[in-house]
Amino acid sequence: MRALIRSAARLYPKAWRDRYGAEFDALLEDMSPSFGDVWDVLRNVVRARVSMPADAGLALAPVAGSSMTARLPVALSIGAHGVILTLFLVAAVGYVTPMPSHRAIAPLPPPVPEAPPQMTDARVFPEALTLYSSLPLAHTEEAELPLYVAVGVGINFFPLPDIGAVYRQGNEEWRVWPGQALESFIVRRVLPQFPRDADTRGNVSVFIEYLIRRDGSVNVLRTSGPAPFSAAARAAIGQWRYRPLEYDDQRCEIVSRVEVRFDGQFVQDGAR
Amino acid sequence: MSDPTILILASLAEGDKHGYAIMEDIRAFAGIRLGPGTLYGAITRLEDRGWIRAVKSESRRQPYRITAEGGVELKRQTALFGQVVRIANRRMKEA
Repeated sequence: MRALIRSAARLYPKAWRDRYGAEFDALLEDMSPSFGDVWDVLRNVVRARVSMPADAGLALAPVAGSSMTARLPVALSIGAHGVILTLFLVAAVGYVTPMPSHRAIAPLPPPVPEAPPQMTDARVFPEALTLYSSLPLAHTEEAELPLYVAVGVGINFFPLPDIGAVYRQGNEEWRVWPGQALESFIVRRVLPQFPRDADTRGNVSVFIEYLIRRDGSVNVLRTSGPAPFSAAARAAIGQWRYRPLEYDDQRCEIVSRVEVRFDGQFVQDGAR
Repeated sequence: MSDPTILILASLAEGDKHGYAIMEDIRAFAGIRLGPGTLYGAITRLEDRGWIRAVKSESRRQPYRITAEGGVELKRQTALFGQVVRIANRRMKEA
């Protein structure tokens, strides 16, 4: 340990060594140096180098009473600087917090497709024409889909605000995609028929929540509303068929919601 | 109070001492072990400021003596520490 400290002491400026070198060496002979003393000397060497005028640099003379060559302190200095730099780099790397990796619990919705041009059934949803995208009134030559007209019945494909909500049933869960976003994926749809024996006064809304399977078929999960109307809606929407939905080149199952509105007043008045 | 220059002045206030004797004295009265680099760094600064001077000696173990200016500085520093200690004690009693 003394040899190490003597080597480190050779890094002091020459003026300092000329003045204190002999007595510093005597001090080392008297004391029991530790490894911490090496660092202590190196730290004060830097301080002395900064505060004292430069001398012959690293072309150092041996400390009195020592036979070590002048090359050793240079190597020690380079080694010490290397250790300090390495510790600094390790500490710097330790401060870099890796970004958390997120994994979606279910596929996210694809970009919202542009809705196909369709006429809006203003008779069933007269209060919000721009919001509702109901079934067309009549066949059109350009339309690829078989279109249906049913007196007093309309479909409200829910708009986008609940996009991405999570639907859970048992141990399974799916992302909820609003019907509006998926409307253009429908390849077969059947409009519910107004129940013949039902009360025709006023409007009735039935809410349908259904699962679009990987093959595009529909499984109605739950409905709300009076029995004859909800049964009619369930029977019709259960026959719908979608183009298989894909995310990341994988077919996926999606939950969607629509509102079926039955307009009794319109039935009483008859078709236009 | 861990400033090595003040500790060395306090040690030399008792009488002349060489490096190792200063180191051992400080360890005894303050419980602080100065490293050899720290000790001689402080001795260098004290000598530069004229607060201590080397005493002529034939031995390689160079003794040092506190100067008059060093004595004044030591009194100034101890007075300052004394004031800090008094104020701290008074405030702790008030708290």
